[in-house]
Amino acid sequence: MNIYKFSDIYEGLEESFEVTITDEMMDKFLDISGDINPLHIDVEYAKKKGFKDRVVYGLLSSSFYSTLAGVYLPGKFCILQAVDIQFSKPVFVGDKLKISGKVKYINESYKQLEIKATITNQDNQKVSKATIKTGLIDE
Amino acid sequence: MSRDEIFNKVQDIFRDIFDEDDLVIEDASSSDTIEDWDSLNHINLVSAIEKEFKIRFALGELQSLKDVGAMIDLMVQKLA
Repeated sequence: MNIYKFSDIYEGLEESFEVTITDEMMDKFLDISGDINPLHIDVEYAKKKGFKDRVVYGLLSSSFYSTLAGVYLPGKFCILQAVDIQFSKPVFVGDKLKISGKVKYINESYKQLEIKATITNQDNQKVSKATIKTGLIDE
Repeated sequence: MSRDEIFNKVQDIFRDIFDEDDLVIEDASSSDTIEDWDSLNHINLVSAIEKEFKIRFALGELQSLKDVGAMIDLMVQKLA
C-alpha cells in the first residue's frame, strides 16, 4: 500500500495496477449486490443481445477505482469523497484490466485531490473513465 | 473582469455544483440559505472557482467569508 502524505502529492503524479476478472469475482458480486440481471449471469441471454459472453458488472470493474484511491493514489490516507464514472465498452470474465490514475488538480485549502482515472483492457481499449475526488487524513 | 461578470460566472458554477439550472444566487446567499451547501459541496465550489478563474484561495481567506458577496469581493481583489 502506498502512503502518500498531502505534501508528497503533485499535479501529474500517476499510479496504476492490473487485475484479471474471474468467475469467482462475478459470483461474489452477485452475492453482495443481488443484481440478477441476466446480462451478467446468463451467457445465452448475453449472446442473444450481441455480446460475446456475459457482461461483467460495471460496478464490479469500477470497484477498482476504490482500490486505486485507497491503496495506490494516495493510498493509506485516502478518504474517498466522489467518483463519477462513464462506461464506454463492456468487460468480460478473463479480461486483464489496467487501472490508472493521475492527479489533475489539488485543492490546497481543503486537502482534496481530483484524480482522472481510466480502466483499459488487454487490447488497450478504454472500458471506463472516472473522476475521483479524495481527501487526505494524514494529520 | 467586472464584478458582474465574475458574479454571473460564479452563478453558473453554483448551478452546476448544485444541479439546479434555475438557481439564483445573491450577495447574501450562504450555506444557511442554500439547502445543499454542505461541506463537500463547499469544497467542490472552491475547486470549481479556482479552476475556472485560475486563482487559489488560502484556507484563512475562506474561513473568514460569510456569504457569496464576500467571496465575490475577494475574487475581485485577486483578479484585479
